[in-house]
Amino acid sequence: MLTHSFFNKIIGKYVIRLFMPSPILLNHLVKNYGKVQAVQDISFEMKEGEVLGLLGPNGAGKTSIISILTSLEKPTSGEAKIFGIDVALEEKQTKASLGFVPQELVSHGFFTVEEVLRFHSGYFGLADNKAQIDYLLNKLGIYIHKDKKIRELSGGMKRRFLIAKALVHRPKLLLLDEPTAGVDIELRNSLWEFVRELNNQGTSILLTTHYLEEAEKLCDRVAIIHLGKLRQMGKTAELVKNMTQRQIVFQLHTPTSSLQSPYVKSQSDKQIICQIPAGMELGELMGKIHLDTKVISDIRIKEGTLEEAFLNVLSEA
Amino acid sequence: MFYQRHKVSLATPELRWTPFVTLLKKEIVRFLKVINQTVVTPLMNSSLYLLIFGVSLGRSIDLSSGVSYLAFLIPGLVTMSMLNNAFQNSSSSVLNSKFHGDIIDFKIAPFSTHQVVWALSLGALIRGFAVGAVTIGVSEVFHLVVKGSFLGIQHPLIFIYYLFVGTMTFASFGIIVGFWAKNFEQVNAIGGFILLPLIYLGGVFYSLENLHPFWRIVSQGNPLLYFINGIRYGVIGVSDVNIWTAFGVSVGSMIAMYLLSIRSVKTGSYIRW
Repeated sequence: MLTHSFFNKIIGKYVIRLFMPSPILLNHLVKNYGKVQAVQDISFEMKEGEVLGLLGPNGAGKTSIISILTSLEKPTSGEAKIFGIDVALEEKQTKASLGFVPQELVSHGFFTVEEVLRFHSGYFGLADNKAQIDYLLNKLGIYIHKDKKIRELSGGMKRRFLIAKALVHRPKLLLLDEPTAGVDIELRNSLWEFVRELNNQGTSILLTTHYLEEAEKLCDRVAIIHLGKLRQMGKTAELVKNMTQRQIVFQLHTPTSSLQSPYVKSQSDKQIICQIPAGMELGELMGKIHLDTKVISDIRIKEGTLEEAFLNVLSEA
Repeated sequence: MFYQRHKVSLATPELRWTPFVTLLKKEIVRFLKVINQTVVTPLMNSSLYLLIFGVSLGRSIDLSSGVSYLAFLIPGLVTMSMLNNAFQNSSSSVLNSKFHGDIIDFKIAPFSTHQVVWALSLGALIRGFAVGAVTIGVSEVFHLVVKGSFLGIQHPLIFIYYLFVGTMTFASFGIIVGFWAKNFEQVNAIGGFILLPLIYLGGVFYSLENLHPFWRIVSQGNPLLYFINGIRYGVIGVSDVNIWTAFGVSVGSMIAMYLLSIRSVKTGSYIRW
């Protein structure tokens, strides 16, 4: 059993990746709403099995891109492909292979949680999907609410329900548009845990979120868009490294003479604050500022964060 | 697990019928969940119409065709109930989805436009026929009590044909209104200023022969007149309009509404209200 699951994982995650087209390929994508250019010539490729963060301030164009991928909107020009298939040409095929969790909470009138999931399974060609529905309801902790109407659920429960709805047909690609907006920290953590688990099983995930700390932990790569343009894209750790600085704080027990270095940002009798490029090491800094180690009582290092990288990218735009 | 994840995308034939059947089932379950509102209320309305117009006022109305006013009224009433309920079913289904936000399901699920139109139309047709069946039932009871016999159906095939075509036409009209409407005010305006006058001026309660020649000509521009008279011909063998003209208008209306409903699903608004 273990061997079987191990080989499935290896085949699913690494071998198949060599032959599968990208989960998402955007090629010179443009979307205009009247005179407003929401998406301006964006091109990027998502890798099979990765978690890709699509980050940007409000109005950056994230939801427009997701709307095109889900066929809610048509692109003005350019193309968007899902697993190599153009969403504008083969809607049925592309829709069948993706799951979508919308930003906005939805209700379903007279229908209960279980009824909606059953109908939604049918929409994706699965007439009998009870096992998967029960699995998701249990996994997301809403099995006991399965006979409730959607409007009777709390905000957090509605989010879980929407994730279950997006996963009834076991999509290979999951689009999460602000899935944790307005959700408390405990539920956020459990949802991210579930997202990680899905990713480990081979599901590719495109995610938009304003919680950059969580995106940093979760995303293999991030794409930062602003005013409809792609500003930066790369591995999360590399982007943070390239777009931020490390802050080194030396606590002093004895005042020292004024240090003359571009890396020193402030100095007082009790502490010296330095900023160095993310690639520079502490030893190299010490050599450059000629600080006597005998006067140091403590050293605190604050690494750059995705949030800082994000803000730096936006300020450069 | 890996095999399971690829189940749907590799099994395209399953997307041919299951989504359509599921959506149709959902439409039926939807109106059955509020059966008091969707079937019992129309039954109550029809009973009141029969009591007030058919029995009370009908005694003082004579028709030149020699048919009793109650027998004249029943086919019109059946048509009115069925067509109105078919319209209400498809339009309210789409409008409720816009209100609740699940309208995007029509877009994100792998439906074809034809699947959406046919599922919504057939759901509306089934509600229309359910309402039609109870209306016919209560009408027959009234006819038995007042006239001492059941009202027979002279041309059953013609009767069924007009019921089907009329209900499908108004189901498509409901889809058009549902998808193209941008707010509840527009829906109410269409109901109040278009649908209601069409229904009440379509000859449910009166014969064209009782109208001034000018209004007789104006009435002939109302497509509902042809559905009502087609059904009336099917039941009592009497019609105010030429039955072949009625046939042409009914087929033309159904095709036009079907094409427009296809267009509305493709170009309609999927924005939550």
